[in-house]
Amino acid sequence: MQKFLQNIFLFLVFAAIFYVCGLFIWGSSYTFGQLKPNVNYQIRYSGHSFTRFKEVKKVQDIDILFLGSSHTYRGFDTRIFSKQGFKTFNLGSSSQSHIQTQLLLKRYLDSLSPKQIIYEVYPRSFMIDGVESGLDIISNDRNDRHSLAMAFNLNHIKTYNTLAYGFIRDVFNLNKSFEEKLQRDMDTYVSGGYVERQLQYFKPSAHPELDIELNEAQWDSFLKNIALIREQNIEVIFVYAPITPSLYGSYTNNDYFNTLMKSQGRYYNFNEILSMDDSLHFYDSHHLNQKGVDLFNNELLDLLNKK
Amino acid sequence: MLFNSLDFALFLPIVFILYWFVTKKNLKAQNILIVVASYVFYGWWDYRFLSLILFSTLVDYAIGRALSTQEDTSKRKALLWTSILVNLGFLGFFKYYNFFLDNFVSAFSFFGQEINANSLNIILPVGISFYTFQTLSYSIDVYKRKLEPTKDIFAFAAFVSFFPQLVAGPIERATNLLPQFYTKRNFDYSKAVDGLRQILWGLFKKVVIADNCAQYANIIFNNSENYSGSTLVMGALFFTFQIYGDFSGYSDIAIGTSRLFGFNLKQNFAFPYFSRDIAEFWRKWHISLSTWFRDYLYIPLGGSRGSLSKKVRNVFIIFLVSGFWHGANWTFIIWGALNALYFLPILLTNNNRNHLDVVAKGSYLPSVKEALQMLLTFSLTVFAWIFFRAIDLEHALSYIGSMFSSTLLSIPKVLPAKVMLLLVFFMTIEWIGREGQYGISKLGQKWKRPFRWAFYALIICMIGLFMQTKETPFIYFQF
Repeated sequence: MQKFLQNIFLFLVFAAIFYVCGLFIWGSSYTFGQLKPNVNYQIRYSGHSFTRFKEVKKVQDIDILFLGSSHTYRGFDTRIFSKQGFKTFNLGSSSQSHIQTQLLLKRYLDSLSPKQIIYEVYPRSFMIDGVESGLDIISNDRNDRHSLAMAFNLNHIKTYNTLAYGFIRDVFNLNKSFEEKLQRDMDTYVSGGYVERQLQYFKPSAHPELDIELNEAQWDSFLKNIALIREQNIEVIFVYAPITPSLYGSYTNNDYFNTLMKSQGRYYNFNEILSMDDSLHFYDSHHLNQKGVDLFNNELLDLLNKK
Repeated sequence: MLFNSLDFALFLPIVFILYWFVTKKNLKAQNILIVVASYVFYGWWDYRFLSLILFSTLVDYAIGRALSTQEDTSKRKALLWTSILVNLGFLGFFKYYNFFLDNFVSAFSFFGQEINANSLNIILPVGISFYTFQTLSYSIDVYKRKLEPTKDIFAFAAFVSFFPQLVAGPIERATNLLPQFYTKRNFDYSKAVDGLRQILWGLFKKVVIADNCAQYANIIFNNSENYSGSTLVMGALFFTFQIYGDFSGYSDIAIGTSRLFGFNLKQNFAFPYFSRDIAEFWRKWHISLSTWFRDYLYIPLGGSRGSLSKKVRNVFIIFLVSGFWHGANWTFIIWGALNALYFLPILLTNNNRNHLDVVAKGSYLPSVKEALQMLLTFSLTVFAWIFFRAIDLEHALSYIGSMFSSTLLSIPKVLPAKVMLLLVFFMTIEWIGREGQYGISKLGQKWKRPFRWAFYALIICMIGLFMQTKETPFIYFQF
């Protein structure tokens, strides 16, 4: 029995080393994505995350921090806020769910030390598992113990594999020479984390009806995030950024979501505050174009200043 | 609890440690631990149905005890029938009640009589088809005086509920498994290592082969009306490997786990897709069920003896019952009938025992004749699986109709490179290992340790890199 247990232990160590090496070789190889279903390390993920995470490390003591999904980095134009005298940073990331927000808060809240946090709340961010958005952060930021905590929270083989691969790249500093173009396709990265999309107009389409059903893990992380922010005496404002009225109308239980958000503190649902047009103010069903962003941000600033 | 879950990954080492260290190799304590662990394992899914297992255990234990003292033939027969009725009664109610009711109502409406009968919302207890047959084998063997009835209730309860094979087999005979609960188990290094190896291979078959094939089989079967004939062929092929990987993978994990605890279960799959005719296929596919039906149904009916009509009748009975055992749906019955049709010509021409050895034994490659025989048998099997997988008969027939259309020879629309490469790797290993008990039982045994370990680590690597991310239940849980 002793020999058995000893060999099991030795084999597990051997297999772990073999696995990590295999993961690195397979992850780095030029094979089709289809052949790498459980490793998804994409440093050039949409949304300029790499540049944003590089920049945030140099920023300190801000007035407002924006957190949330692509609605955040495409919806809160830091230039508009800076014109009004606010020093802001936009830490949104693609499909950022509350599990990822938790990681970013733990990683950057102390250094950014914001006076106020605008926490973008979008029903879908409460409904998804958060795996794909986790991979975006793993691939584009340096990994640490918080990444590991996130991986355990997500508990998904893809996250574990991508994180292990990311750790190896971090150890060997393999992303050192990577430079992300500030202008890519139709997107331009603006210092402060905002991404401006070339002006386009959305062709409205119908959306199937959808019930908002919260994912328990996301809700739990959301509550922990609020507690973490409030522990540091930082004011938090929940903002439901505008989406096309047709998409907004497709959610069958918006009242339920609004009530839930109101119960957590100061909450603005801009889908009910502003009257926007599917085509004129959006470039797709849920992202504002620059005209929409101007309207939305100025309205938000009015509300913040009134308060 | 699923074998391919994190729960089981924690459960197994805990039970292993308790079994070998805490019970101090005390037989009774080990058996009690097995019962408790098995009930936890089963109750993880739904604790309410533990009462069924407990009831079955107590009934068959009591019947066994009564049979040991009863000499009167008619009373012995009555006791046996009590066991059969109780066990098959549960099975019939939970598995077949709605099927019979629906068909009864349909039959009456066909003749113009409308009957109002409400079907019940019955949950099928996982594993009921397996442990029912296992306990039945005990009662029948005791009745036939092939086995001494047990006095040890814990050994018997452990036999009925033994967690590695409780929910999806192999269906063990009391004559093989029960005596192992009376015998002192000593830890055997090579047996335990072999068990772990078999678990590893079973896990690979399930989470890499079966689950990846399932993804595409489901897409194609669920949207069969939108696909070309060649794509439908791919769908049937994916299902063919899915069901093999899924079920034989489960059996491998079950057998391997049992070996860790010092038990030997019978081989349940012997590389069936390398069979040269259907008779060989049925000697190699779900062996524990096939032999159960052979011993307790086919042979008592007369087997292959007697007149031609009797032979035909017996073959149809065994295959139809086997099909029906899989599920309360006409698709399974047709699947069974189709296999009977495949099997009959071989039986009637006395060719059913032509291939008792391993194909191309000692050679790297089969002969052209063997390759063609295997290809034909495999094709027949793939065709029959369409009925097994289809939602209902209408679906199966429309699937087959669309498959044999003008688009049969077009390029399939679903041809995932990942799955194709995995299947090539899998079948190559299975071919190399076909003379062993499972794919990798002998492979690498003579290699130096670092190479052997590297091979096992490669399999682990492949599991991590290619496994499907969703925990998928085993197909045979529904049976």
